[in-house]
Amino acid sequence: MYPDVLRTYGDRGNVLTLLRRAEWRGFRVALDEATIGESVPAGARLILLGGGTDRAQRTMGPDLAKRRHELAAAAESGAVVIGICGGYQLLGERFVAADGEAIDGLGLLDAKTVTRPRRITGPVRAVAQLWGRALELVGFENHGGRTSLGPRADPLGVVPKGQGNNGRDGTEGALQGNVVGTYLHGPVLPLNPMFADTLLERALGPLTGWEPLSPLDDSLERRAHEAARRMKR
Amino acid sequence: MSTTGAGTNAIARDAIGPLLTASHDGLAEGGARSIRVLSRGFGLGAGTSAPGLFVERIAPGFVARRSARLRDGVVLVSGTNGKTTTAAMIASILSAQGLDVVTNASGANLFRGIAGALAVAPRSASAGVFEVDEGALERVVRATRPRMLVLTNVFRDQLDRFGEPEMVAKALTGAAQVLPPGAVILANADDPLLWPSVEHLSPSGFGVRGHRGRTQSIDGEPELCARCGSSLEYLERTFAHLGQARCSRCSWRSTTPGLTVEIRDCSGLERLGITTGGCEILLRIGGVHNAYNTAASLAAASALGIPPTLAIQPLQTFRPPFGRTERLEFEGTRFLLVLMKNPAGAGAVIDQILGERDIATVVVMVSDQWSDGRDVSWIWDADFESLARSGLPVVTGGRRAADAAVRLKYAGSVPRAVLPNVVGALRRACRIAPIGGTVAILATYSAMLDVRAAIFASRVGRMAPVTG
Repeated sequence: MYPDVLRTYGDRGNVLTLLRRAEWRGFRVALDEATIGESVPAGARLILLGGGTDRAQRTMGPDLAKRRHELAAAAESGAVVIGICGGYQLLGERFVAADGEAIDGLGLLDAKTVTRPRRITGPVRAVAQLWGRALELVGFENHGGRTSLGPRADPLGVVPKGQGNNGRDGTEGALQGNVVGTYLHGPVLPLNPMFADTLLERALGPLTGWEPLSPLDDSLERRAHEAARRMKR
Repeated sequence: MSTTGAGTNAIARDAIGPLLTASHDGLAEGGARSIRVLSRGFGLGAGTSAPGLFVERIAPGFVARRSARLRDGVVLVSGTNGKTTTAAMIASILSAQGLDVVTNASGANLFRGIAGALAVAPRSASAGVFEVDEGALERVVRATRPRMLVLTNVFRDQLDRFGEPEMVAKALTGAAQVLPPGAVILANADDPLLWPSVEHLSPSGFGVRGHRGRTQSIDGEPELCARCGSSLEYLERTFAHLGQARCSRCSWRSTTPGLTVEIRDCSGLERLGITTGGCEILLRIGGVHNAYNTAASLAAASALGIPPTLAIQPLQTFRPPFGRTERLEFEGTRFLLVLMKNPAGAGAVIDQILGERDIATVVVMVSDQWSDGRDVSWIWDADFESLARSGLPVVTGGRRAADAAVRLKYAGSVPRAVLPNVVGALRRACRIAPIGGTVAILATYSAMLDVRAAIFASRVGRMAPVTG
């Protein structure tokens, strides 16, 4: 969603990863893009909100109110919603920008974000649990926001290396029902193919009868994953 | 004046102060020259910052004093892309007019790089032209008190340093606001992110016409109006987010620049046919981005009193500085080494490489040192799809060779080999390329330095002289 606004940060790579990995298993995939003023496409099984600049995120503030119900309904009916960095922040209840201006988020994650002047940046390694699957995630974080989770959201993972959501509680990302948020860049999905496949399996479950996806040759992705994993802070 | 102790001290300080300073400066200059000779001797490369670091320690205030002694003043060039080439072009224009110009080595564009350049400048130097890193610009402006500031553009680059493009624009604006009175600002009028942030300082503008890039920019910034945040519509988009635009909602539109370069022929990697000021010229560097660099340098020259018809002459033989594009030979195969730094730059050079007929294989080298940007996710915003569609065999190299390989795989072209070792990647590409074919190397900054070092150090390799 909002591809022309929230695409500053390599999220094209995340979209491409999901697209190709589904196609390589024989699915025909349609990529819809919904921007400000447009509704969530009906029948969307996987919805991605990417990272964006503070200014871009604020521009979207008014539109978010209109999308709340649409996205909540989509998630209820089994769609997977994933938000990355800015998208993650906007999936929460509230987002406070650097100058103190607060906007209401989409409310799909019990999370609040406040922006601080010092940016959290650097390589990250997270140990995550997602819908019964254990994942090691590697990537790069770069955010001024500090996100804290309420009782209805679980963290996506913990960060043995990195600062994660807020640099205090050792958590990274968020998970609530079918809605996932993460601060990881890389882009996160090409570097973590199992994460991408876990999202796809959940999203495509109704179509596949919850069969696991056929394995792909991920030797290149594993090498990239290793190289990212070795980065020092 | 009293002759008490305090007064005597004051007189002494006034007399001895300048002497001490002068001797510190002399020590600084002598020391810096020695350091530079030693560094070169040890093959540490042109970008070493050791002389500048020495100068900063020994003689604080040196940069201000030495800049003030440059009779014809200082010109600074900053922005995301094109700093080095634009500064080199301006320097060559001024040299052709008989000025003795001091410049900083490519890549040495932080404060200490400029300090180092000034420290080793000859006594006869009369003008300084320096490329300056966006983060260092304000400090350099304060110290050098330039007569002119040229701002090339703002792109997404090194996000791990700057955070967001708007922050780069803010850094540039902050620096522009502390220019000495009478200083001239030149800015890219085709940049809807840069121009509005310096508009209030009455800059002169430059721009490029006559070239329509891809209509759907996949590698540009979100095109939003700086005034109201609504989306921009482009009347003519040259590349990425640059072009003539207007806001879909409010009344903002791009300014007509004072100087434009019109592109006639943009098809080659090392040729650019342009028209400007009534002249038709053929340049020996290629690409739309170099049309912008040309426009910037001609606008700078014009503001310094050198009309385009005169300024364009030395540009006709202009070759890109160290490392931007370079033809090399290694183990019997010809290489074309091209620097890529960010999505727009990578897209532009890929475009050009595909226009060259002799390219047979491509090596994509991505590293993640501080000079490259530690986060390599930008490669996903660069148009490697067109490289993949071309069918050219690809080898990936550099410290993040595997990331580059994954990028190529998802773009539709699985690389033939993934070899982080530089010599290994070059050798494999040599083996893949048919006899007589040229291998193009697209490299990030530190990978490019590694390639040069490897070729230089190899007994078999030698640098091909730069030929026609």
